[in-house]
Formats: sequence, C-alpha cells, structure tokens
Amino acid sequence: MATTVDALLRRATDSLGVLADTATPVEDEWQYVRDLVTVWGGALRAEADARAGHAAPAGAEAAIDRLAAEAASIKDPHRAIDWLSTLPLVALVAVGADPR
Amino acid sequence: MRFQNAAKDARAIVYAAIQADPVVARAAGLLADASYAERLLARAAMNGETLDPEAWRTMFPTLFGPGSDDATAIRAEAVLAVSLDVAGRGEQARNQFRGAIVEALTEQLLGRRVPPTAIHRERRILFDGVATEIHPYDVTVELPGAAEAYDCKWGARGIGADVLNQLDDARRHAADDGERLVAVLVIFDAGRTCQTRLARQTAPRQGLRMVTLETLDRMAGTTVARR
Repeated sequence: MATTVDALLRRATDSLGVLADTATPVEDEWQYVRDLVTVWGGALRAEADARAGHAAPAGAEAAIDRLAAEAASIKDPHRAIDWLSTLPLVALVAVGADPR
Repeated sequence: MRFQNAAKDARAIVYAAIQADPVVARAAGLLADASYAERLLARAAMNGETLDPEAWRTMFPTLFGPGSDDATAIRAEAVLAVSLDVAGRGEQARNQFRGAIVEALTEQLLGRRVPPTAIHRERRILFDGVATEIHPYDVTVELPGAAEAYDCKWGARGIGADVLNQLDDARRHAADDGERLVAVLVIFDAGRTCQTRLARQTAPRQGLRMVTLETLDRMAGTTVARR
C-alpha cells in the first residue's frame, strides 16, 4: 500500500520533537523553541489533515526518511533551533505542498 | 540625514575578507535567480549537518527527482554545490559566510530595481543632533527623497530588540528631518518563523518592513520568484 501524505507529515512532526529536545540546553530560547514547535507542528498537522489518505508523490517517503535522519544527526542545540524552522518547509515541499 | 562609510575597525577588516570571498558572490548570484525551493535547499544545506550531496538530493525530490526537468536539476545542482562549499567551512566560518551571502543577495536584488550606483554597503546614517549608531547598516539605497536601509540576517533569531530599535530610530529621525527612510529587515528564513519571533518582541516595529525567504523578490520590484 502506498504511503500517504498525512503519514509522512506526522513523521515530520515527530522530528520537530527531536529537534526541540536537542535545543533544550539553550535556556534563553526555551519559549521560542516552544513557539516554533506549536506553530510549525500546527502547520504540518493542518496539511496532513487536508490531504489525509492522499498517496504521497514520488520520492516523498525517501525525502522524509532522510530529513528525519538529518534532524536526528543534529547535536548542536543552536543548529537545532534553526532547523525547527527549516525542517517543516522541506517536508512540506517534499510532499508537493507550497508553504509560502 | 546623510550617509557615511563605516569606520574600518578590526572586525570590519576581517569581515571584509569574508564578503570578498568568491563563494559569496557565486552564492548570491545563484540565489538571486533561484526558485523558492532552490533557496530553501540553500538554507537547509548551509545550515545542515551532512555534506553528502546525495542526502540533499533525496530530501528535495521536486528539484532532483525524475519529475524535475534538466534546467531545474542543473540550477539546483549549482545551488547545492555552493551551499555545501559554505557548509564545509566549519561552524564559525559558515555563520559569517551565510550573513555575507544574505547581504550580497540583497544588493543583487536591489540592483534590479534601483541604479547600482545608489546601492552602498556598510554605511552609517547620520542625523544632526543625534548620536551615531554603533553598527552600520548592511545595505543602503541612497536616492534623494527615497532612501532605504537594510539590515540582513540569516535567521529569525537575528531579530532582537537592538535591531528593531536601530531601524525604528533611523526611520523616526529621518521623519524628524522631513526625510523619508524605509527601514527593512531582510531575513533568509520563513516568514511564519519571523512572525513567531517578532510576536514576543516588545521593541517598536511600526513602519518596519520585513523581507523573508518567500518575499525576497520584492526587493527587485517583483512579487514572485522568476521560477
């Protein structure tokens, strides 16, 4: 059975949590990190809900898998904060959405 | 209101070498003509962990996948190559290069709307009776009656009270002098992220214009990327 867009975007949402955990040591940015998780998690969930059950486009599953691996490999908390903004955009583009 | 070259202190001399590095001009040139997805690729790869180009090709199937046309793939490969060049220079260096690239990109895009002779870098703006700001503006457009001051940032974390206050002060002092100065914050980051960052700031931002990853082409006088 083909992977669906919503399944991939929920996987990307999980990666946001991984990045937020990595960013934890930057205490001054705790609120900003929580805000980014809320805002971008909401954006990913909204797209997932809107395209629930839709077959993912070619290459999207491999893209989200590799994106999750990249997020997991980030150990620098400051880089993780930057990626909290980057990962959702890459995920949305990978499934054919336009995040603009 | 008048403009003045910033003093060449030690920091400026070191940073000038970064700005003059050929990779900065190469990246800015590619990004000026890039699509939204290509600019996003640059942001991700310049800020990423892996230097393996195949990993990035996998993450961007719309640029490198079988559905991508040859022209798109060639452009995306060029953007990827320059991005990994920057990323491979180490954490400290990549931070400086990324900032310099956003400044150079801003200059290039502005050059499509205003005469290049009106565009300047690293300039201070002086007002009679007002103490000079310590930090110069990254890019200025100096046209009679239509001046613009740009502060360029790689990411939304660069939005802070000091930046907002400086831009607001400049705009207000210009108005006090009967001049018009457009104060712009250019951020190579998602607009939604920038708004999230701004939402917790208490510094004034009335009259502030913000250009983000999605709206860079507005500086060139267009509303959408060429591709």
